[in-house]
Amino acid sequence: MAGRATWKGYIHFGSVDVPVKLHTAVKEERIQFNLLHRPDLIKLKQQMVCAYEKVPVPVEEQARGFELEEGKYILVDPEELEQAEPADSRMIEVHEFVKTGQIDPVFLERTYYLEPDVNVKGYNALVGALEEMDVEGICTWTMRKRSYLGSLQARGKILRLHTLRYADEVIPVKSLDLQNFSLSEKELKIGSDLINQLTVPFEPQKFANEHQKKLQKLIDQKGRGEKIAILHPRRLQPTAPDNLLQALEASLKKVA
Amino acid sequence: MARHVIWSGTVSFSLVAIPVQVVRAVESGRVSFRMLHNKDYSPLTRRMFCPKEELIVPPDEIVRGYEIGPDRYILITDEELESVSPERSLTIEIIEFIDIEEVDLIYYDHPYYLVPAKGGEKAYRLLVEVMHRTNKAGLAKFVLGEREYLVAVKSTEGGLVLITLHYSDEILPDEDIFPKEEEIAAEEQSRIKGSINKMLADFNPEQYADARREKIMAFLKKKVKEKVMVQAPEEEKAVGEGPADLIAALEESMRKVKEDR
Repeated sequence: MAGRATWKGYIHFGSVDVPVKLHTAVKEERIQFNLLHRPDLIKLKQQMVCAYEKVPVPVEEQARGFELEEGKYILVDPEELEQAEPADSRMIEVHEFVKTGQIDPVFLERTYYLEPDVNVKGYNALVGALEEMDVEGICTWTMRKRSYLGSLQARGKILRLHTLRYADEVIPVKSLDLQNFSLSEKELKIGSDLINQLTVPFEPQKFANEHQKKLQKLIDQKGRGEKIAILHPRRLQPTAPDNLLQALEASLKKVA
Repeated sequence: MARHVIWSGTVSFSLVAIPVQVVRAVESGRVSFRMLHNKDYSPLTRRMFCPKEELIVPPDEIVRGYEIGPDRYILITDEELESVSPERSLTIEIIEFIDIEEVDLIYYDHPYYLVPAKGGEKAYRLLVEVMHRTNKAGLAKFVLGEREYLVAVKSTEGGLVLITLHYSDEILPDEDIFPKEEEIAAEEQSRIKGSINKMLADFNPEQYADARREKIMAFLKKKVKEKVMVQAPEEEKAVGEGPADLIAALEESMRKVKEDR
């Protein structure tokens, strides 16, 4: 079942208004651990500590500062931050439509399912239009005092809303200072052939979170007082640049 | 600026092994503030604290426990944790490649960049080039701290990006919110198509900015002009104690920023 509805709004562009309810689309379940103090196994808490005096600082003695240069801050009041909050609105405003497949997945943040809220026929009409034209809508909205950028898509019978990162939140690849390396056409050809050989349809269902089960098993074993075999990870020997072609050829032979 | 390395190990596919590091690909757009002590304007750091003894606990006295009842725990060491899937804690083994268009966007979780470590530059460049040419992504699983991640590795702008994927059982079904009726307002649909046609464009993320962040930056600039500043005392250099727990720190950096929002 989709997560419960967390917010209500309406999609707007031109003379189109389609009311929707947002539902969370993903739910993660993880084994949780606590951090404990070794001698007496008391559950530890996170605590803000003064870096200078090395003492715990209670909330009422905490202030928020914007660092201008090392050690120099501008103090900011909570009221000032509140003033910067965007005005409340229920409108998911579509600014433009783009052909699907243009958005780099690096921008994707999270997904909501949109449930129709009254005017189901209009909702269905929008789903159909997006699907037939193979486009998605780039939109902005304000939810819980934050402004969001997102993409509105039709998928099956429903609409989905993906929140997107702002452009300046994505670190540019060029800042990584990657070196360029010239490769021979042969290396590229064999590399491409190898990848094509290893290509299969995307079937995410076949990847279960086995680790989670194994971890639970380990906890159970330990709970019964059994001894745990310690296995050490091994670091693979890197393929030397001069052996790259040879490794690719051997790989291709193995899979072909 | 020194890059914060989240993980270092090997990316492998078939018989090729490339030493790499995982680094951040995105940073939260929240204007970042330092929390300060209002008595001396010294910055605050996060430490683990024992509420019973009321003291700050040094890293070597912290253990990981799985709660089985009130105040009852099973202790798990780092080594035991590593033994769960040792083959995946130092290697991102690409077991298959897929066509990128086949990935339902709902699966994408959080992106990181891969950068080549010493000696891996050439094989890294090869993987960038061939994945770009073939428009494929590699699928792999790897373990970091307490979690195992299913990831897609793909070529982007001349580098490799690693995007964690949700497991399929984490994706909630959507059938229960399907429209109750199938009917379509035909007239409305042609009107919608007309509007969409007038609004077609190419995706250009640069044109959108976070209004809240802009407002905050504006009032910060005003305050800079007014020269209202405070200064922290000189710190002793003993602050380099590092994070309370390495695994926890790694977990923290892998965890999405969304939770703090």
